[in-house]
Amino acid sequence: MRAFGNRTLVTGMAMSVLAFLYAPILVMMVFSFNDSQYTGLPFNGFTLRWYEALFSDEQMLMSIWNSVFVGLGVVVISVLFGVPAAIALDRYEFPGKGLFRRIVMLPLVLPGIITGIALLGFYLTIHLRLSLYTIMLGQGTALMCVTITEVFARLQQLGKSQAEAAANLGANDWEIFKNVTFPGIRSALFGAMLIAFSISFDEIAVTFLLTGRENTLPMTLWSLLRREVTPEVNAVATLIVFLSIILIVAGMYASRGHANESEA
Amino acid sequence: MTAMTTIERPVELKGTSIRSARAIERRRLLLWLVPPLAWFTVFMLIPYATLLYTSLGHVDDMRFIPGLSLDNFVRVFTVDPYLSVILKSARIGLMTAVFSSIVAYPLAFYLAFHVRTQRLKFLIYLLVIVPWWASYLVKAYAWKTILGSGGILNVGMQNLGLVHEPVRLFLYNEFSVDMTLTYIFTPFAVLSIYAQLERVPTSLIEAARNLGADGWMIFRRIILPISVPGVVAGAIITFSLAFGDFVAPVLVGGPDSVMISNVVINLLGVAFDWPMAAAIGLVIITLGLLLISASGWLEEKTQTRF
Repeated sequence: MRAFGNRTLVTGMAMSVLAFLYAPILVMMVFSFNDSQYTGLPFNGFTLRWYEALFSDEQMLMSIWNSVFVGLGVVVISVLFGVPAAIALDRYEFPGKGLFRRIVMLPLVLPGIITGIALLGFYLTIHLRLSLYTIMLGQGTALMCVTITEVFARLQQLGKSQAEAAANLGANDWEIFKNVTFPGIRSALFGAMLIAFSISFDEIAVTFLLTGRENTLPMTLWSLLRREVTPEVNAVATLIVFLSIILIVAGMYASRGHANESEA
Repeated sequence: MTAMTTIERPVELKGTSIRSARAIERRRLLLWLVPPLAWFTVFMLIPYATLLYTSLGHVDDMRFIPGLSLDNFVRVFTVDPYLSVILKSARIGLMTAVFSSIVAYPLAFYLAFHVRTQRLKFLIYLLVIVPWWASYLVKAYAWKTILGSGGILNVGMQNLGLVHEPVRLFLYNEFSVDMTLTYIFTPFAVLSIYAQLERVPTSLIEAARNLGADGWMIFRRIILPISVPGVVAGAIITFSLAFGDFVAPVLVGGPDSVMISNVVINLLGVAFDWPMAAAIGLVIITLGLLLISASGWLEEKTQTRF
């Protein structure tokens, strides 16, 4: 038996934490249906007009699409560059490895604004015009460590013996990666992609300084929250929560079959 | 020397000597290492070097004058409000890290030890990560709806007759910033602590129970010490995220709850003082590197091997 301690007490405490996590989300959802100009009390009655407003709000819909675009780009960048970094850290000893590891982890502990001004200064120096791509590059740099740490942790769990056995049997580098390494890290990689996308989708600090003319969703919401707030912001956030639940569940079920076989 | 020339030799020589095997190893290492290294050089190291160059100059009449002066770094530590705001941000980060660890622990514990079926575990895990997707801004704003003077909490308490006037203590102060940040970042702490608790072998708990330990004793003597690295890792992340935040102070903070990121934004947007902002940036980058080294050391030292 793994369980120990007072079951009622533990369950009660866990449920209160979940209640704490969901109280504002519930409030957010309830007030997205409020028939009032304001997002607060009193609750005047049920309406869907904020969802109608949302679907006819070109700027809002455009910024959702922009966020998806940036998020997908960030995922691609962090996989293309993060996986090799994790493999290098796992397999090899090289001079400056400790420093490399620290530099890779740095954006995780650094305020996004600092990553932002460093990149903004760099972009200005090389005369790069701010756009969705500059946001993508910035977030990609900041979020790559998520992929690196997740994949690195999985590689450490898997150990080297399988890859070495494959090498002894004559597999080349690509075959080893395709048939041994990749199947082993697939579920961890999928989790990292999901995390990177969700953080990117909601990222404010790095994006704040690197935004050109096109806004991501958080930037649009930020400007709305500082001017006039209507329940439309609640409606868009509620919609995204539901879409993301569908996405996460579908994704997890899809990767589940593979996840089990590679779990250590 | 031979080691150098083997690099150029065809692959058929693989394994013929230790030296050529090493050369091949080195080439493989470069294959994996060069792309990320190039990325971090272009998008981190060069920008940081630009930052350093900027920080050594100064601004005169809205124009940047290059220079080689450490004045801006001296100002970070001597001129108000820079150092005090950095310290305040660190205090808010620390409070957030402590509160999130306390809030997250029971949920992580429940998830690791008390969830019986795989299906329920999946559901609870999902419930922990879904709040990530609800926009940070809208969630922070929702706290305003709850805590404000016309908010749900105050109206509820007035209706129950607990208070006669709205309590203004809930909002627009440092506590509301701490609380909002704790709320936002708790899921990170849950996942980090949970990952560590999952590593505890069931046999260890059974052995302790067979030897007559009660639940509290198992927790205090076995689980708590083992969970330390997970708590530390979660605390480092929540601390860092809270330290660099600039949204909560604007939305739920009081007039004096400006944090370091807000100061940097004002230096860029309002004062146009890039060199000063760059100097603050470099000081924080240094602190960040120190934090990573300290956390690596701490996690290593507290990690239990099974």
